[in-house]
Amino acid sequence: MSSDVLNSIKEALVGLDLDKTIDFVRMAVELGFKPMDIINALADGMRVVGERYEKNEYFLSELIMAAEIFKEAMNVLEPLILKEGRALYIGKAVVGTVEGDLHDIGKNLFVMFLKSMGFEVIDLGVDVPPKKFVEAVKQYKPDVVGMSALLTTTVLNMKKVIDALNNEGLRNSIKVIVGGAAVTKEYVNEIGADAGGIDAYEGALICRKWVEEKRKADLR
Amino acid sequence: MSLTHRERLLRVFEFKSVDRIPNYEFGYWRETIDRWHREGLPEELKTDAEVEQYLGLEGLESVEKVPVIIGVWPRPPEVVLKSEDDREIVADGLGGIYVRKKYTSTIPHYIRYPIRNREDWERIKPFFDPKTYGRVPLNWSDIVEKYRDRDYPLIIFVGSLYGWLRDLMGVERISIAFYREPDWVKEMMDTIVNLVTTILRRVLKDIKPDIAWFWEDMAYSKGPLLSPKLFEEFMVPRYKKIMSILNEHGVNIAVVDCDGDIEQLVPGWLEAGVNCMFPLEARYVDPYKLREKFGKKVLLIGGVDKRALIAGEKAIDKELERLTPLLEEGGYIPTVDHRVPPEVSYQTYLYYLKRKREWLEKHHP
Repeated sequence: MSSDVLNSIKEALVGLDLDKTIDFVRMAVELGFKPMDIINALADGMRVVGERYEKNEYFLSELIMAAEIFKEAMNVLEPLILKEGRALYIGKAVVGTVEGDLHDIGKNLFVMFLKSMGFEVIDLGVDVPPKKFVEAVKQYKPDVVGMSALLTTTVLNMKKVIDALNNEGLRNSIKVIVGGAAVTKEYVNEIGADAGGIDAYEGALICRKWVEEKRKADLR
Repeated sequence: MSLTHRERLLRVFEFKSVDRIPNYEFGYWRETIDRWHREGLPEELKTDAEVEQYLGLEGLESVEKVPVIIGVWPRPPEVVLKSEDDREIVADGLGGIYVRKKYTSTIPHYIRYPIRNREDWERIKPFFDPKTYGRVPLNWSDIVEKYRDRDYPLIIFVGSLYGWLRDLMGVERISIAFYREPDWVKEMMDTIVNLVTTILRRVLKDIKPDIAWFWEDMAYSKGPLLSPKLFEEFMVPRYKKIMSILNEHGVNIAVVDCDGDIEQLVPGWLEAGVNCMFPLEARYVDPYKLREKFGKKVLLIGGVDKRALIAGEKAIDKELERLTPLLEEGGYIPTVDHRVPPEVSYQTYLYYLKRKREWLEKHHP
């Protein structure tokens, strides 16, 4: 029975059925499952959704719907996690579209995947100047900074952010990932980012790997 | 062989022989025209149409469009709520608020979309009423007369099923609505179909345009924004309703303007009769693959990789060479695959146009 409910949560999320997912989440809570086990079932569902997206079986519309379901489920679970006194997040990310660029589909997608993988995301929005990235890094002390740009003209501003982080002595404490249609692998190397030129899902997986490695290193 | 502009266009899309291919281009970003002003383009030329005509191009902006309004009407006035250094916060008149850059061309970024729920939609729905005055000019008979014996092509804009709603709701809201409120999405799309078909019935009694033109922009680098499954369920049957009226009146070329990787949407469009793909962004779409897969059923406009113009003369030569077999086959009119970006100098663009002109005259069906 136990694994049945958790499996049903995962299946309902993969099937993009919001009502069923929430019903199963509530049922799991009533049956006494720990919130983290339920979150893991949801995250497992999101992983399958991500894989289907990679295989062209799911598309942006399905990713957005899955993220909405995840968000609704988390609304049920968050009070319980806080009550347990446990950490809600595996890591923290500051994300924004760089100055001059108002495109946000790619950035929003990345935010969605980060959240579904357990990140606390500080979304700075669009048209974000380097100064604002720097201030956010000082204020929130994230593990990751993510920048997005669609236009060939605005992608150049990613370097300005990295330079500003270097000048403030903040660069070494964080990982930087860049994305968007205008970003190539060559450009990632050129500006000294840690990763980029990949899609949003793959990018979020890399961020998760980074924080897991960091936690392991901290424990040593 | 001496052909009129109209004959040339129609024959290309019928895969028949022509004297040359029509010389069309997509257009330019504002920053591109600004740059070119500094590099020799006369200062007084500001719009795409003005630049096109000065450079001896025949379209796309300069191709005549039937002067009817298929879209939100009347267009309520926008109000700048706040002006900051390089941006403005604008009330769009439909209930939405967006940010726009003052000096650079970029899409508006909505802080609040006009449609957030059904109540918002009910307020906006009357703007899609086909009977509102002003959609068809009062001097209609003069316009009909003007087009009677024309030797130039005529386009009629026939709207957007997804693109308009996405612009009004945002991609997140509309994606969720497809799953959570499918009947509402259908109702909104039916309202658009009613607008388009009602105006078309009125227009096509008197005028036969050569091309119907949809705008969707429903794909990005990774493929469609909407899954092909939802596209086929919600959109294809509604395109069919529009296309059946157009086809009934002999309008058999229907363009869909959609950036990004469109490949998985093409079968649905073709099934509905929407048969011409534009602008074929070279980074994501291989026109040869589309032709191989769908044969002469698929017509093509665009496809010249803008990155070749950025790279310079050798890359331009190579890019035109890449597209030569397609040009010679027919059913294809080349243009740069989006607006020319500001990284392209005026001199390089003139080189491209010179080479392209020779190419269009030398290689054709």
